[in-house]
Amino acid sequence: MTDQPNYDGEFDAIVVGAGLAGSAAALTMARRDLDVLMIERGAAPGTKNVFGGVMYTPTIRELADIEDAPTERYIAEKRYSVLSREGDETAVTMRPEAWNEEPHNDSFTVLRRNFDEWFADQSVEAGATLITETTVTDLLRDGSQIVGVETDRPDGAIEAPIVVLAEGANSLVSEGADLKSKADREDVAVAVKEVRKFDRETIEERFRLDGDAGAAYHYFGDGAVPDVVGGGYIYPNKRTISIGVAYRIEDAATRDRSPEDVLDEFKSHPAVAPLVRGGRMVEYSAHAIPEGGADAVPDLVHDGAVIVGDAAGMVLNNGVHLEGTNMAVESGYQAGEAVADALETGRTSASALSQYRQNMEESFVIQNLEHYDFFHELIAEDREFLFDRLPRALAEAQQEYFRMDKTPKAEHASRAKSRVLDAAGGWVGAAKRAWKYRRMLS
Amino acid sequence: MSATDDTTAETPPIEDRLYTVKYSDSGDSHLGVTIPGICAERCVTQDCESVCPADVWQVEDDGVPTIAYENCLECGSCRWACPHGNVEWEYPETGNGVSYKFG
Repeated sequence: MTDQPNYDGEFDAIVVGAGLAGSAAALTMARRDLDVLMIERGAAPGTKNVFGGVMYTPTIRELADIEDAPTERYIAEKRYSVLSREGDETAVTMRPEAWNEEPHNDSFTVLRRNFDEWFADQSVEAGATLITETTVTDLLRDGSQIVGVETDRPDGAIEAPIVVLAEGANSLVSEGADLKSKADREDVAVAVKEVRKFDRETIEERFRLDGDAGAAYHYFGDGAVPDVVGGGYIYPNKRTISIGVAYRIEDAATRDRSPEDVLDEFKSHPAVAPLVRGGRMVEYSAHAIPEGGADAVPDLVHDGAVIVGDAAGMVLNNGVHLEGTNMAVESGYQAGEAVADALETGRTSASALSQYRQNMEESFVIQNLEHYDFFHELIAEDREFLFDRLPRALAEAQQEYFRMDKTPKAEHASRAKSRVLDAAGGWVGAAKRAWKYRRMLS
Repeated sequence: MSATDDTTAETPPIEDRLYTVKYSDSGDSHLGVTIPGICAERCVTQDCESVCPADVWQVEDDGVPTIAYENCLECGSCRWACPHGNVEWEYPETGNGVSYKFG
């Protein structure tokens, strides 16, 4: 790769990053007969990418043969659990039988090294060119118009009419070119994860799984991640288990525990330890998650460039829904279509590309971000109740409600109710909270 | 193999965690501090050190951190964390740095 071929004028579009959003954009544009160059900084697509574990596939299914994709397990069960620091667990488990049937609610655990390479291959098969081990360092400009990229290869400038910025959470190029501002540390999470290897039987017994069925276990409360706003998760794969925690960088900076210590504590909670015990750690990884919501989404279109995926802040975390993969692929697809439409008219200005922004605003991606925009501020304000008092009150209420003694059950129920009410601040506090969180259910 | 190889342990030391990750060293640090004087004189919280999940940053007696860039998992947390905007952060060049096998 020391002799860089002269690519100037060879390509209609350059895609920065061969992750989910980048490959979706490249695939879409290649199918529209554009000459596309994907530039990936890793040795292969996926080698720099980390996520929790669930790939949501409604858009990928329309772009590629998902049967062919290297998925691990489909999500047959979702489990939400609150853990107290004292060791209590309160959990809800859902296993609708329909999730066992195709298309499995378009939810699969995957490992990104394999999955992202497969997805990038779809673009290459559709005619896109992929170069790896090459980092885009800056954008080329002609006045206000973006006309290509600078890379870290000798004579590494490459011109093209359109640049798709799919560079991920750590969006150095977009920020360096003033296309977006750097997020506040309250709006970005640090995530650390372990992949542990087990034999398949152990995993299936521990998580009550048959065949390719899998599960998504989500954990909240001070027993999962102490004194911070965030959560933990466990995703069983075929022969590995993904275990991780994610919480605000603001909290990581101001608490005395390091992220790997928080992960170790999560793994040692009595409700978690038996699920992840043993095996062998085959990978430790870390990544940033943009969680700024709708407000943090930058201008998506610029003269000669569009921003997609994590670089555009397209991640949803409302406590119940933890999504990003579906949003990345949808944004890449919408951007690819908008670029192809603009180039058909021979135009590359921001206004020519504005169809991308409009389609995103009308899509589930921006609509969901806007709908749940209240959530982050709210849980940060209400942290002590949600993460500390509530998990303990729920455990105390359960003890009262199911207490085996000679007191009549009406008395048990009354005591259980007052435990929860006390934690919520009485009837008035409970009513206020019900009102504040009403949008979670609407 | 690492000296201890504690990958089967529930709470492995950070060296054994990092040992699971393939790293290719360009020989040049992709991380730095912009103005060491800011670390020495203005920084009292050492947030780079607190947020890093890979023990890259080690603040020394003079207040200026040493940087074990070859531990870096490229999450970027230090870049957001530093309240003085004093972290220099670039991607390791030409494919160097971490390479995940699972992700």
